[in-house]
Amino acid sequence: MSSVEVNKSQPSPGSTDVVSPAGNNKEKRGVAGYLFVSGYFLLLILFGVAPTLYALYLAFTSSGGHFVGLSNFINTGKDFRFLPAFENIGEYLGIWLASLIVIVLGLALMLHSLARKVSAAFRFIFYLPGALAGAASVLVWLFMLDPSVSPWRFVLSGFNFHNLGQTIQPSHLPLIFAIIAFWAGAGGWIVVTYGALNNIPNELLEAAALDGAGAWKTALRIKLPLIKKWIAFMLILAFAAGTQLFVEPTLVSEASLGLISPAWSPNELAYVFAFQNNNFQYAAAISVDLLILGLMCAAVLVFRTKLFEVE
Amino acid sequence: MRIAKSGNYGGRRLRLRLRTPLVVLAAAGVSLGTIAVAIPASAASKVKPVVTVWVDSTRVAQVKAYEKANPGVKVVMTVYNGNANGSGYLQSKISLDNRVGAGWPDVVFSEENNDAASLASPQFNYPAQLDNGTVSKTILNGFAKGTLAGCTVNGKVYCLRNDLAQNVLWYNSALMTQFGYTVPTTWEQWQALGEEVATQHPGYIVGGIGDGWDDNIYLWPSECHVNDVLKADTVDINASDPNCTRVASLLDPLVKDGALTTDNVFTSSFDQSFTNKILMMPGPSWYGADLFPGLVAKGDLGAADPLAWGSAPAVTGEVGGGLWFMSRHVTGATKTAAAQVLTWLSTNYGSQGISPGFPAYVADEAKWTAGQQASGQYSTQLAPVFAKAATEVWSGWSPVPWSVDAVWGSSVTPSINASTSIESLLPSFASQLTDYAQSDGYTVVTKP
Repeated sequence: MSSVEVNKSQPSPGSTDVVSPAGNNKEKRGVAGYLFVSGYFLLLILFGVAPTLYALYLAFTSSGGHFVGLSNFINTGKDFRFLPAFENIGEYLGIWLASLIVIVLGLALMLHSLARKVSAAFRFIFYLPGALAGAASVLVWLFMLDPSVSPWRFVLSGFNFHNLGQTIQPSHLPLIFAIIAFWAGAGGWIVVTYGALNNIPNELLEAAALDGAGAWKTALRIKLPLIKKWIAFMLILAFAAGTQLFVEPTLVSEASLGLISPAWSPNELAYVFAFQNNNFQYAAAISVDLLILGLMCAAVLVFRTKLFEVE
Repeated sequence: MRIAKSGNYGGRRLRLRLRTPLVVLAAAGVSLGTIAVAIPASAASKVKPVVTVWVDSTRVAQVKAYEKANPGVKVVMTVYNGNANGSGYLQSKISLDNRVGAGWPDVVFSEENNDAASLASPQFNYPAQLDNGTVSKTILNGFAKGTLAGCTVNGKVYCLRNDLAQNVLWYNSALMTQFGYTVPTTWEQWQALGEEVATQHPGYIVGGIGDGWDDNIYLWPSECHVNDVLKADTVDINASDPNCTRVASLLDPLVKDGALTTDNVFTSSFDQSFTNKILMMPGPSWYGADLFPGLVAKGDLGAADPLAWGSAPAVTGEVGGGLWFMSRHVTGATKTAAAQVLTWLSTNYGSQGISPGFPAYVADEAKWTAGQQASGQYSTQLAPVFAKAATEVWSGWSPVPWSVDAVWGSSVTPSINASTSIESLLPSFASQLTDYAQSDGYTVVTKP
């Protein structure tokens, strides 16, 4: 049985299928659909599209409103904080995305093979940290990482960390932020991936079992290929959110009384340009850099996984 | 001066993980928020002028004292992080307010001593000039000599100093007697004693180097040229200057043997490790009331003159001190009231008497020192030490629009914590400062 056939039976993230009760005429269906979409569409225009267009305008103009070509991009690229910020974020993304794929998929597959009740309990536990808002979860971690108050002091002292300054050494930060992001975000993705796995028809799994596929083989050859669109979807969102890292380094910098550069991540650098150098053009240029990065990652994943294709 | 240990996260706009283009919308949002808060306040009180005051948590008591003493003015107080440690929070808000043309605080306190240089620059153009009659000459002349230098940009005074933060040598007199040590007068003696302490009394410390402001405590008194503004827009940055290397090589062995702690003095781990274990600590005058209570037993805290280098006359540095600014955007009755709030907070003993820092306003000094002395915390007379140190602050450490402390804190302090020698970190410290200076349009020179 090919995976194309199976895909027909499950809605994919990009699917636009609307299940409507029989008997409704086409026109009515259309109006309801537009009504449902309109609220989101309005907000998207106001808070998504319009600011993006404004940022594009700012990025290509001077403070006097004259077109300046790429000079804002070149000047920000030459800034001494630009490369380090992108290096930091690159290192962070490497750790965060790799762990997201390996651990989230691993745990979701494991949950999927567990009995329903046990699995539900685990899903709830995995999801719990995600219920905390971004800033709150960073605060939790500030306590965890400070050896003087951490309940895990003995672990930290095992690594020879005796004060917060030693725990948050610059070389540790990408890993620390990845751990925070994982702790706060992985639970939600485990639940989503589990949902995707649940969409795989039972007869398919039974057929695989009859053909002699063990748990390992079923996971690798049947389950993973069938949910690859969800994996792509997860990666696109995680990549975009990851490149925009802001709250974590900002809060850790504040809590450590300034032991981290205020321009640790590109988003922070944009913030510094906008609000401390009063240069909104440079800030816009960096945010357009980030937008392009996010779009490129999305494009690769969308085309490779045929994310938007509906059979 | 310091920010609360717990931080001031509540009031900050931290959900900025949106796409950065949204900064512009956030700008509008923040300012609209401010306007929305301000309107009902001014509408509610038709007679009373309303003055918006922004302070750090340490200054809240001073503002409350003003409200109590001056019922004729309504104060709307906002507590923020005091712009400490190079956070640039105040600059962020001002640039947003500038963009929408409203929302500026009328009076604001900043812990960052460089802020006059930054806020009065054309980029922000925020503070009102004070020496044009806004604040009377009598008041301006009442500040200790040289203390308004950091408030003076291109010959105009833009702020009033809250307190002086001159460094002195703090010590625990009971422990010094118990161990049989005499209080050092030079850095060399202090270092030798530190080495002795490390072997004879391990666990006790002669200072700390885990904070983002230690450049002010060690490099400044050593006359290290890392932000010496020679003329407008030209700054001398030279960390390989012998004045910089001499202090680094003096500190390195002490860090290595633990006599100089790498714990940040304002953390609970410091309290846990060093209560009653601080033998000496070079630090600002405000440490006496703000840091040491609880760490040094009551009645044991002594203050000695700043340490000198060899036989040269002693010079010292400052940590913070705090500045009061008034907005250039206030007008009419609010302007008069704001000027009065500003003056009262920085000069009136009702405010200065409860400030942990040594007042910059001379008339308050004797009373403040007497009040401190009466607390029973000290084993020596503070007045002569503080007064002398106030005149010894080295003038080659200039206010600049970038935060030297932030660079020290984010580049040098973490590496010291990772056991890298301070001497080896000086070149990268200087090169980062050079980057900041150049991005602020300064010409950097390296004077031999």
